Amino acid sequence: MTSESLVNELPNPRRERLARLGRRALWRLLGGVLVLWAVATLTFFALRLMPGDPVLAILGGPSGNPTAETIAEATREYGLDKPLAVQYALYLGRLVQGDLGVSYSQHLPVTRVLAEQSWPTLELTLTSLVLAWILVLALTVLTAGRRRWVSSLASLAETLSAALPHFWLGILLLAVFAFGLRLFPPAGSDGWRTLVLPSVALAIPLAGFIAQVTRESLELTLDQPFVLTARTRGLSDTAVRFKHALRHAVLPGISLSGWAIGALISGAVVIEVIFSRKGLGRQLYQAVQAQDLPLTIGISLVVAAGYVLANILVDLLYLWVDPRQQEHAA
Amino acid sequence: MRALAPYLRLYGSRPRSLFKHTPIVGIAAMCSLLIGCGQGESTVARSDQPVSGGTLVYATDREPTCLDPHVGGDMPQVFVAQQYLDSLVSMDEEGRIGPWLAERWEVSADGLAYTFHLRKDVRFTDGTPFNAAAVKANLDHMANPKTQSSTAGGYIRQYRSTDVLNDTTAVVHLATPYAAFLEVLAQGFLGIQSPTALTRSRDVNCESPVGSGPFKVVRWDRQSQVELVRNPDYNWAPPTAKHQGPAWLDRIVWKFIQEPSVRFASLQAGEVDVIEALPPESHEAARRNPDLALIIAQRPGNPTNGTLNITRAPFNDLKVREAFVRSADVEGALKSVYFNEFPRAGGPLSSATRFYSPDFQSAQDYQPARAARLLDEAGWATRDAEGYRTRDGKRLQVHVIMGNRTPPSEYTLWEQVQATTRQAGFELIVEQMSDVQSTKRQADWDYDIRLGYWNTNTADVLRIIFGADFISPAGVGGYHQNTAGYTDPQFEGLVQGALTTQDAEQRRALYYQAQQLASSQYLQLTTYPQSSRLGIYKTTQGVRLEPSLAVTYLYDAWVNK
Repeated sequence: MTSESLVNELPNPRRERLARLGRRALWRLLGGVLVLWAVATLTFFALRLMPGDPVLAILGGPSGNPTAETIAEATREYGLDKPLAVQYALYLGRLVQGDLGVSYSQHLPVTRVLAEQSWPTLELTLTSLVLAWILVLALTVLTAGRRRWVSSLASLAETLSAALPHFWLGILLLAVFAFGLRLFPPAGSDGWRTLVLPSVALAIPLAGFIAQVTRESLELTLDQPFVLTARTRGLSDTAVRFKHALRHAVLPGISLSGWAIGALISGAVVIEVIFSRKGLGRQLYQAVQAQDLPLTIGISLVVAAGYVLANILVDLLYLWVDPRQQEHAA
Repeated sequence: MRALAPYLRLYGSRPRSLFKHTPIVGIAAMCSLLIGCGQGESTVARSDQPVSGGTLVYATDREPTCLDPHVGGDMPQVFVAQQYLDSLVSMDEEGRIGPWLAERWEVSADGLAYTFHLRKDVRFTDGTPFNAAAVKANLDHMANPKTQSSTAGGYIRQYRSTDVLNDTTAVVHLATPYAAFLEVLAQGFLGIQSPTALTRSRDVNCESPVGSGPFKVVRWDRQSQVELVRNPDYNWAPPTAKHQGPAWLDRIVWKFIQEPSVRFASLQAGEVDVIEALPPESHEAARRNPDLALIIAQRPGNPTNGTLNITRAPFNDLKVREAFVRSADVEGALKSVYFNEFPRAGGPLSSATRFYSPDFQSAQDYQPARAARLLDEAGWATRDAEGYRTRDGKRLQVHVIMGNRTPPSEYTLWEQVQATTRQAGFELIVEQMSDVQSTKRQADWDYDIRLGYWNTNTADVLRIIFGADFISPAGVGGYHQNTAGYTDPQFEGLVQGALTTQDAEQRRALYYQAQQLASSQYLQLTTYPQSSRLGIYKTTQGVRLEPSLAVTYLYDAWVNK
């Protein structure tokens, strides 16, 4: 008792900062949970309120030819005979316990589908993100603030690549590097060789986006007095760019990367189809078509959770890159 | 079944806005301009001597949702099932039924009891012996509502029960005479599975089904491939097979490559040995490539079509129906959309169906002058400012509804139909919507034209698509298979009569009249038959299509690599 009150009386800055950070993390986490709940609810009602009987979609849509008994049995099995509100409550109740249900169309528990399909998509998006940043750094640091024509040319390249649709790029890469030169396999998801073309197809448009903002801020940074100071200390041009200017200039790019995770996952839907890769994107596309409610919500939740997590990570990265932010962190 | 309406069957499902034709055309162009994909001389001489061993890599467009073909009932399932399941009876190229797991059978005089005498030497790959109890377990499994089988609704609605007389004799009882029973039993959809395996839950059996066939399923890596290995004890091939004993191949890798152009390019590169659903735009390239062989076969059943809803105006008038069909230049459309690779289907049955008659092939020929005369007679004599026909101030409008899985090429085909029927004065409105919405519209009879097809190996399909039993909705969903809404006691008499006799000539005569009647009623605008189209790389030989549904059969295939 007494010791506690003692601690309370004496302010401890270190402890207070930790508490602030803890509160912040807690809020972010609560926000994340709220987002996930919203995703589950929206998806649930969006799919359930579509016109038509979900049982028919489950039993093969117009191609199925179920008997009346089969329809009745499936309606009972999936609990579709209960009122919508009850179905929603039951679903949410199971969700809280971590039970995502069984996929109608895959005949598998949703958690197993997620376990099997998440890694290939994660692998693809992370590789693409890293690749995009390598391209961004190579392009911007070496060309920003150079002679006018060099940077306009690079800037044009960035605008062009940002505008490239994923599917077009994917097919171009396939035609040249898989079918033509036969350097990489055109389909599949085993081994790093199958990863190259899909990640390049996802990385190039993203690199275009990030490079545009990074170039602008890099050019602004290079005009700052501290850069001049660094130069007068005798640092080489490359050292100035990489050691001093870059740290300032990448901040907008980093916050854009949080958004990029979402863009990459939506791009992955198309890329996974074109390159016949395993993954959540392709699975989501099929689940929506088959009106597979448990699977659609399951994948949406994983994607949303990934998005929330990525944004928290970006936040932390931001703090690490720019220590000034830590003062305002609370 | 396998498959009315949604059209996902042919090309798999692709988002329209993203793909259309461009990727295929783009790749083809790039191949010829940049690199010349797959040109040159064949380097491996094909030998007619089968070789035992090796792995065959097969690539298809769609992944099954369940490997057990009793569950649901979609074409991709039967393609895999044909490799690991045997059927009770077999079907030859002419559509005649022969023995397989059943050595012989008798049908009772009233057509209600089928007594099957079974082989004694057959074992499933889990060691369970095949016997009469297995036959009973399989038919009961298909009929059980929990199985969620489409087969139960379409093909064995008549099934009542099976009596196990002894190990090798099973008597199957039907509720009504059903002469098409043996035909549907020959389909891979009704393949015989291990009764021990069937006692597991539906979802477990979906993943690791057990049969007695030449191969067995060992692994299913979702969205990637199914792996099958040879059944070393196999010694009960059907009489239609080219050899006896175990299969030549050690292993089959069954891959899923959704994009047609990627699938074809993988074949050209030799990355896969056999592809299915060869895109029509690649047929010519495949023919010119010395490394490739093609197998193209029509599937039996009801060809691809737009079925006219005759329960409401304007298609409640036979004259308007014929005028619509006659004013659609389908031949021209097929030429431009499918590069003349798909033949015209003119009658209600595909030419690969037993008892098909070619006499109705030209009933739908393009005759715009006749169409105009018929419309005048039907009272649609005036035209409005835009050139559409009118009657009592109402425009001659017809609505075709398409679900989102309709392939883009099919959409283009109907745009061409729209253009030619417009000249006759029809306003054809193409409505695209989600599959669920289109199912709902269908259930409500709220359409004039509904797209579809039906793959099955019996002329009894006529009863499913035009029969009175299939006009009423199955249960709460309200979905009906008779999308025309056609009821006619005379037609009913013909198709029901054909089920009561085992005599082939009598059945032929009855089905002839049924085709004649359906054709003269102009219930469908038929376009082209469904087909199985395989591309085969030079390393592979002996690949065949099993005749009952034109399904790939790899038992007799071998590889030289």
